[in-house]
Amino acid sequence: MSREYSITYTAENTYEHAVNDAHWQFLIIPEQNNSQDFIGVTFENSLNAMIEYSINGYGFKTIRIHPKINFHKITFTASFQLIKKDINPFSFDPDPDISKSYSTIDELNFKVDFDSFLRITHFTTLPKSNTPLFSFDTSNSIFENLKALNEWTFMHIYFKANVTDVETTLDEIIEKRHGVCQDFTHLFCALARENGIPTRYVSGYLHQGNGYFGDSQMHAWAEAYVPTIGWIGFDPTNNLMANTNHIKVAHGKDYKDCAPLKGVLYTTGRNETKHTVKVASQQQQQ
Amino acid sequence: MFSSYQLNHDLYDEIFEDHGKIKEVYKKLFDIYGEHSIRDYVNLNEKAKSSFFNQGITFQVYDKEKTHEKIFPFDLFPRIIDPKEWKIIEKGSVQRSKALNLFLWDIYHDKNIIKQGIIPMELISSSANYLDQMNGIDPAGGIYNHISGTDIIKHNDGKYYVLEDNIRCPSGVSYVICNRTALKRALFGVFNHYKACSVTNYAENLLDLLETVKPNGVDIPNVVVITPGMYNSAFYEHSYLAKTMGVELVEGRDLFVENDFVYMKTIRGPEKVDIIYRRVDDAYLDPLEFNPNSTLGVPGLFAAYKKGNVTLANAPGTGVADDKAVYTYMPEIIKYYLGEEPILNNVHTYHCSRPNELKYVLDHIQDLVIKPVDEAGGYGISIGNRLGKDEISLVKKQLQANPRKYVAQPIMSLSVHPTYIDKSESFEQRHVDLRTFTVLGKDKEFVLKGGLTRVALQKGNLIVNSSQGGGSKDTWVLKK
Repeated sequence: MSREYSITYTAENTYEHAVNDAHWQFLIIPEQNNSQDFIGVTFENSLNAMIEYSINGYGFKTIRIHPKINFHKITFTASFQLIKKDINPFSFDPDPDISKSYSTIDELNFKVDFDSFLRITHFTTLPKSNTPLFSFDTSNSIFENLKALNEWTFMHIYFKANVTDVETTLDEIIEKRHGVCQDFTHLFCALARENGIPTRYVSGYLHQGNGYFGDSQMHAWAEAYVPTIGWIGFDPTNNLMANTNHIKVAHGKDYKDCAPLKGVLYTTGRNETKHTVKVASQQQQQ
Repeated sequence: MFSSYQLNHDLYDEIFEDHGKIKEVYKKLFDIYGEHSIRDYVNLNEKAKSSFFNQGITFQVYDKEKTHEKIFPFDLFPRIIDPKEWKIIEKGSVQRSKALNLFLWDIYHDKNIIKQGIIPMELISSSANYLDQMNGIDPAGGIYNHISGTDIIKHNDGKYYVLEDNIRCPSGVSYVICNRTALKRALFGVFNHYKACSVTNYAENLLDLLETVKPNGVDIPNVVVITPGMYNSAFYEHSYLAKTMGVELVEGRDLFVENDFVYMKTIRGPEKVDIIYRRVDDAYLDPLEFNPNSTLGVPGLFAAYKKGNVTLANAPGTGVADDKAVYTYMPEIIKYYLGEEPILNNVHTYHCSRPNELKYVLDHIQDLVIKPVDEAGGYGISIGNRLGKDEISLVKKQLQANPRKYVAQPIMSLSVHPTYIDKSESFEQRHVDLRTFTVLGKDKEFVLKGGLTRVALQKGNLIVNSSQGGGSKDTWVLKK
């Protein structure tokens, strides 16, 4: 069984004073991968400015637009169609040799190859403390520990919209114990990396048909690398493994590498941006 | 003229032997200068200075509160390097540039030098100049550091040592050429007694070598120089290089990217650009990829680069290799990639990131120079034997708070050269170094036969950077 998705992303930007010159870059196109078959994209903007497709520094598809007129308001609408194969997040064999996996993650070659996703970044810096927040139990497999970390993060932080923003760092999240998907994901990444597991921040869409937490915006979750298995998706906001409802766009070290919208603008005064995301699905027979 | 010249025997003098005998290569020059009085020299010096003012050859010095515009003080007494010594410098500069280029390729691809434990991983993973986005990119011709500036000194043992490899946007080459022009104007008769190699061929060689790394499928490449603008300290040089290469000087706003190609706005309409000699730092190159607040760059430039549609010289991310901590591994880097012994010496370096070396540094701070690993232009350097008690405890605190940020080296005694000093109206010994300029192209390289001899104008001062009040001398490399 697989699902066909149609996703609509809209952004509406309004400016107090006219914008003379603007460049936008969207990182919102679903990735083509083993479980995602990309069908198509349409992108429109209210100014009918020319659209360009490109690839960013991390290899993900972007949409760029550069209107050549002055304006106060612009809206963008992108629609994507794709087929998501049914994935069973548990479809791998249990780790046959637990201690070997722990020694693998300790090898220099492994650390060099996964350096980017082991690094502590601005958003994955844990506050200094004498007792680690979450330590792996090395008598259990790495996968079991990651599942436990996923649950721990889910239990430790309360989902609360509009109390944090894209600049919020982990010390505040840990102290106040609330946040949104981005904050859950940063905390998960930081703690997994602290335990030596390469972990990447994933941005994408969540099909919310089943009442999962999300906020009609883009969603975030994490992928952790487990020796002999590969990258596995964890959604700490919902205490889930990434599954057929998770549609991936991009990954990076943290939010900064995956920001869905980047703009370079020449204007003054106040501005306002509204995003909405709609994910609709249809079950397909194979 | 030299009657009042005081020879300090603790210092290595470039023109006098220990017992006061003049060195062979300087004999003729010394004799000619000897026929004149110091008054004649003072007049000539004034003439040369005004020539710099008139040409507008100035630079900016950044201070805590404000910036100042200055002329680069120029000394009419040239430095002469004999062909045998030059051969070593030239070979050594090329060797280092090539090794650094291979190092950059490796750390942006397989990272073998780290996997084999030759250099520590932290050098990359904790370097602010390592660009993840460069991973896996194959720059045209395999070249990252097209232009390198190698800072070399002569120690009191008479040997050359490299202090720094500058491979971000090394500046100073325009002064080499202007110094030659000014000197020839003032002292044509003297210059003619020597057979010195030309330095005015730099721009044509730079253009020639840049063209060897043009993007695939381009026949005759369109080259431009991009500058942060007229308020940049090296703006004069940017405009000079563009002019002498016969290419356009542009700012970010003069370029735009469309469908991953770079274009220049001209009165005849857009013109495609293939090679950019960029004098804008990595962080400011492309606001969509790096610092989003940059107004100096070109939105979309990095995507065009990644696609191979434009060449950037130097490549983004080269800064990771001119980190002062990487410098300390240069002997290993040269051996690893080239299988050769280093031709030019490295100064022994203590890594404050290693606890036992940090301890040594803290205990011997008076005998050491402390340098931040990621600052250029002589900013943030502390020389141990010049520090007062309070300054020492401040430096110690900084070292302990952030050891990775610092390295320490023994205080090197830079050689001295007779330099005309306005205040005393006579020649005095002043410390000098030498910056050489090496250009790498595809299977081709060029070293400017000359270089920038920088002079620390304050007595006893060892920091020669122009931003720290240094001057310069014309540098003659003699033909064989």
